[in-house]
Amino acid sequence: MNGKILEVSKLSKRFGGLQAVKDVNFVLHQGDQTAMIGPNGAGKTTFFNLITGFHRADSGRVLFEGTEITGRPSHEIARLGISRAFQISNIFPKLAVLENVRSAVQAQMGRAFDVMGRADRIGVEEAEQIIRLCGLQGKQGVAAGELSQGDKKKLELALALSGKPKLLLLDEPTAGMSLEETRETMALVDRLNQDLKLTILFTEHDMSVVFNHARKVTLLHRGQIIMEGAPGEVRANETAQRVYLGGHPA
Amino acid sequence: MSSSGATHKSGWFSDLYQKRGLSGPAAVILFLGFLLVPLLPGKFPIIVGTEVLIVGLFALSFNLIYGYMGQISFGHGAFFGLGAYATALLFRYFQMTAGGIGYFGFFLSLILALPLAALGSWVVGFFCVRLTGIYFAMLSLGFGELLFYLVFSWYSFTKGDDGIQGLLPPPFFQDATYYYYFTLAVVVLSTLLLWRITESPFGYTLRMLRDNRNRAAFLGINVRRVMLTNFVIAGTFAGVAGALWGPFQRSVSPHILGWAESGKAVFMTLIGGAYYLAGPMVGSIIYTALNAYVTRFTVFWPLTIGIIILVFVIFIPGGLLSVIDQRIRFRLSAGKVEEIRKGEPVSPPGGGA
Amino acid sequence: MPDLGSLLIQLFSGLSRAMMLFLLSSGLSLIFGVMNILNFAHATLWLLAAYLTYTFFQIFSGLWGSEALVLVNSIVMATGIMFLLGMAIERFLVRRMYPRELPEQLLLTFALILIFSDTIKLFWGVENRRIVLPIEPMEVMGSFVNPYFFVIIAAGCGIALGLRFFLQRTRYGKIVRAAVFSRDMVSALGIRIPAVYAGVFGLGVGLAALTAGIFLPIMPLSLGIDMDLIVQCFAVVVIGGFGSIGGTFIASLIVGIVYSYSILFWPDGALAIIFLILVGVLIWRPWGLLGTEMRY
Repeated sequence: MNGKILEVSKLSKRFGGLQAVKDVNFVLHQGDQTAMIGPNGAGKTTFFNLITGFHRADSGRVLFEGTEITGRPSHEIARLGISRAFQISNIFPKLAVLENVRSAVQAQMGRAFDVMGRADRIGVEEAEQIIRLCGLQGKQGVAAGELSQGDKKKLELALALSGKPKLLLLDEPTAGMSLEETRETMALVDRLNQDLKLTILFTEHDMSVVFNHARKVTLLHRGQIIMEGAPGEVRANETAQRVYLGGHPA
Repeated sequence: MSSSGATHKSGWFSDLYQKRGLSGPAAVILFLGFLLVPLLPGKFPIIVGTEVLIVGLFALSFNLIYGYMGQISFGHGAFFGLGAYATALLFRYFQMTAGGIGYFGFFLSLILALPLAALGSWVVGFFCVRLTGIYFAMLSLGFGELLFYLVFSWYSFTKGDDGIQGLLPPPFFQDATYYYYFTLAVVVLSTLLLWRITESPFGYTLRMLRDNRNRAAFLGINVRRVMLTNFVIAGTFAGVAGALWGPFQRSVSPHILGWAESGKAVFMTLIGGAYYLAGPMVGSIIYTALNAYVTRFTVFWPLTIGIIILVFVIFIPGGLLSVIDQRIRFRLSAGKVEEIRKGEPVSPPGGGA
Repeated sequence: MPDLGSLLIQLFSGLSRAMMLFLLSSGLSLIFGVMNILNFAHATLWLLAAYLTYTFFQIFSGLWGSEALVLVNSIVMATGIMFLLGMAIERFLVRRMYPRELPEQLLLTFALILIFSDTIKLFWGVENRRIVLPIEPMEVMGSFVNPYFFVIIAAGCGIALGLRFFLQRTRYGKIVRAAVFSRDMVSALGIRIPAVYAGVFGLGVGLAALTAGIFLPIMPLSLGIDMDLIVQCFAVVVIGGFGSIGGTFIASLIVGIVYSYSILFWPDGALAIIFLILVGVLIWRPWGLLGTEMRY
């Protein structure tokens, strides 16, 4: 049995009058490829924000590889090995693609404060590797803000990978993508999980992606986990259908 | 990049441009220009030149925070002032104890400005980096003004509004030309250091903060620590500029710490180009030249510069260098319009160099 | 230790200053709340309005018998012109800056300071100006007080209430408040946002102009007082909290009274104390007394 890489217990967060996340217990094991689904406003993004330190939880604990990360700042959590790709591309628009990835690599290498080194000579190979992996070869010199939507998503993923993560959180990785791009992206995700042994947790609204690429599915509704299980189980479950899947067995 | 289209520009220019962006050739041209200034007739060009260099260095230091890190500080003049007053007070000390200032005292006064400016910017920065945007701007303005009032009111120590007069450098440096070359040397050295810093991994960390602060944090960067480090570096270089100012003007007065002076650095950077290393220096040349020229004809300098800033902010926010950069890039593609398609780099590597 | 009489005078002075700060800062806060633009030039436009009112007063003085009537008419005319000027500034200059970054927006309004303060110098020169209303000073507790203070405080409260009424009860005012929350929603409801923006900017500037006119009788005009004033306005808006009228009110009282009393003890450094408060608030509680709490 693989070790637990992420352990969330009784996590709660309230925003004013809204209980966004309520008493969530959640476990990920090393090597998992899990999807978190749920209607809009279910709390998926808040959940990600809580794990990555963007919000401070009201109560509960988060353990990563056995270490407590509750309440720690985002940059510390990132250094520990949790990386995140955002739903809306969250890149560095004025920098070229290569500079985006290279700088992220340099940060991961601990060289963020290096004032005397030559930026264009450090971490370049790694950056190029990641760029190739994500399908952006040939576009190194393009300013990130000028990329097409699909390429921005690829860069988004590339940035998340630069951190040499052990756990990768993907927020709607195929949102807005064509069929072809979706296939490419999810094939890459599978490879990352299979070959590079990355644990992957992603949120999705595209059910075919979920059922084809997740080994476990967690359904979130109004801040609480309604059910968890293999994709087939969730698909067949009545509550799940009522809450999210439309009430008819697929 | 097609070189077959590069008909007019000679090889060295486009090579340097490819490797270093516009600032490479710009720096070379500026340096040659500055070297040749003393050849112009009279003392006036040298004096203006010294001012351009010193204020330009101040603007360069400011741009670390603004163009590279994306925040606007209205209190940067305070560190310029700290450097100036540190040097001035040490000058007075040497003058009073020894009658005049010797070369050792002179250099010591200049050098000791750095730790004071660094300390000042560390203290101010400690609080400022917890904020961004408008709050950062306001807090930096507030601290700057507090430091101004401190200097202004502490009459027994700083002579308040009277300022500190009679800062006469040692005989060799009393000559305007020699002091000019000395200033040029210091500014060139500082610029080389700044260039090194901005092209280092740290320099790109700054750009990451500028473009997307939150994402940088998610990539493992301790944003506050980076901001503080940068703030201190910028403040120290401002202090260097300030140190040079006192002996140049032969006096210092409190107004250099105010937000109006800090505003000057912002204007220069805007006019020259915030995304280019050489931008603030170009801005300093234009601003100072404009000032010298316009004030001959009219007393309404603020109106003039206000209109110019307005025009630049609305139509040329990237500054003069961005216009030149676009032109050059167009020229280098030799008007091959089909090459300028989506996917071609809009800015040279470095987000403008 | 100054006697009770002069302390009282300073209190009146402080209250009237607080009133002026409140009216001025409300306009600033409104513009920032709706359009996210910090109008650096707000006090400079206020000064321009003051000079304009002064000139109208000079022109019409003696024509209509009562000086008070002349003053009121001058104020109305000047305010009208400044309202239009404010709308023009928004329409032709500020509007271009909405998609831009904050530093560029600040630079634009900073440039407006330079332009308008020099415009004042161009038309009115450098000598100080003042208008004189024939009013008998009242005696209170052994010191003489200008009864106009009461006019100011009454007028100020009246305007504040009028502003509140406008924002809470009129259709346009509600649109403005809605726009503070969500301009997209307002736009989606079919209301022309550009018109709202122009109107709000004009309103803010008009409010500043009205304030300038009311304070003209007790305030000698000179170049440069706008610089001191805008910084005090910043302090008020920061201390009170951006976008909160209630906070602006409380902060105006604090800044106005502190400033007035500081002048007694440390005339040159009264502004420094205001800066100290500004810095303190930004360090401990950047969102001010009643602003919405920010997450760091």
